[in-house]
Amino acid sequence: MSAEQRKSGAFKFTFWTFLALLLIYYAWHSYSSGQMINWYYWEAAADGYAVNANTFKEATKEKPMILEIGPHAEITGLQAVPVKKGERLPIGCNGIISKKELEEGKRVKLEDDRIVVMVPMQVKEAKGFKYKDTYKHKGIKTNPWSGAWNVAWVLALGVCLGYSAEGFTDLFGLKLKKIEHYGH
Amino acid sequence: MFDFAIAGVQSPFMLLVLTGFTVGIVGGFIGVGGGYMVTPALIVFGFPGYMASGIDMTHIAGKSVIATVRHRQMGNIDWVLGLAMVGGTMLGVELGVRLLNWAKKLGIAGILLLTCSVVVMLCLFIYTQIETQKAHKKIEKDAEAGITAGREVMVSGIPRFFQSIPLYPIVRCRTARLVISMWVIVLVGICTGTLAGFLGVGGGFVRVPALVYVIGATTHIAVGTDLLEIAVSGGYGAMRHTQMGNVDMIAVMFMIVGAMVGAQFGSIATSFVRGPAIRYILSYSLILATVGACLRLIYMLTGQKYEVLSFFAVVFTLGEMFFLCFFIVSLVVFAVRYRHGKSVPAWIPALVVKD
Repeated sequence: MSAEQRKSGAFKFTFWTFLALLLIYYAWHSYSSGQMINWYYWEAAADGYAVNANTFKEATKEKPMILEIGPHAEITGLQAVPVKKGERLPIGCNGIISKKELEEGKRVKLEDDRIVVMVPMQVKEAKGFKYKDTYKHKGIKTNPWSGAWNVAWVLALGVCLGYSAEGFTDLFGLKLKKIEHYGH
Repeated sequence: MFDFAIAGVQSPFMLLVLTGFTVGIVGGFIGVGGGYMVTPALIVFGFPGYMASGIDMTHIAGKSVIATVRHRQMGNIDWVLGLAMVGGTMLGVELGVRLLNWAKKLGIAGILLLTCSVVVMLCLFIYTQIETQKAHKKIEKDAEAGITAGREVMVSGIPRFFQSIPLYPIVRCRTARLVISMWVIVLVGICTGTLAGFLGVGGGFVRVPALVYVIGATTHIAVGTDLLEIAVSGGYGAMRHTQMGNVDMIAVMFMIVGAMVGAQFGSIATSFVRGPAIRYILSYSLILATVGACLRLIYMLTGQKYEVLSFFAVVFTLGEMFFLCFFIVSLVVFAVRYRHGKSVPAWIPALVVKD
């Protein structure tokens, strides 16, 4: 392989790796700053109470946990914020206890201005695999633009990593030729 | 342990990198997304089922782009064939999803899904094995007669029938050297897409054999073109999953980083082998996945009494990933030895190319 080809390989590798690292940095920054999480827990998909399901995961029927209802801007502990379908979720929320479930009263029930949690988790089955069904991720809606944004990010990262790897092999003299499919 | 705040689980991120790497090798080599292997793996790592499906689909889209870039460099993509198929595939996926919803309403989705997977994969395995063994024997026979076989050897006569259907418009696929009715390509896209949508997978394990045995593309072109297809349909699937809240992007990022290395290895490995070698590995992948699905089906049919069946189904599916990787790596090692004139098992020369 000529020095010219190696040089172009080095340029290709540097350029695309730089872009790939930028994309990875962007994702990491967006994750650590909470923006990604904020986009995920965007708005309520059902009427109910926004909660942080991690705070009451130890609750049992014998030792239920009590959530205080109030208009908190941020959920920091055993708190529940009333939300209507389509409303933005408070910070720290990771699930919704729907009004329907409260009316059923099997896992959670409403007592005055408190929510009593008795069964925070149950085992369910889907596609032949068992999984924990919790209030986490329940009744939430992601930012409608996040789907397009995430796919654009994934495809862009794929292109950058693909060309970066191509530059890497060119740089080390492993330039791959086109396969001769129809030889002989 | 890494705290995946969106998925709400703690899991070692290196396991995700390793999973991405192994599935990258297999996917880059046989042209599949690997959803049937990754989803169970993610569930074992503690991710909820719906998150596992979403993360898997999103990582497949990224990984397929990486592999597509490499396959493009090696001339394994027929853009006309791939793009002509995309429309049919999308329509098929939508039909498959509706079919699944209909089965869900009847309450038979789980059993119907597993039965369908087992039957399709078993039929494909049997046909691929028979055809590939015939091709293997033909290469050995040619070698005895002093004739060097080409990159592709196929003995199936089915593509000739489909290529002779005179339905306009007829398209010319230059890379694949095919002249075929557009309707055949679209129909293949619809059929494979329906299966993919119904089974909830990318559909590479059905599309690659369909591209080879129905349309008549060489195995290398089928692999490259299918990866292009997966990048498009996987991108759409990833968008839908993200909108439904099934994706933790940080988990996807770890998997893509692993897949980058794996997909490179898998894609480059195809340049060392003949078509039948890829078809062999595809067929082994199918039979191993069939055994896993069979165990799960028996588990469901017996009223989910025998937990051991479910456990072995997962073990089998995870073991499959490592077994296939080992097989591909061994094949490449033998191919390199063969190129350097070193001793190799007797069955190797028929499966690898000298230069």
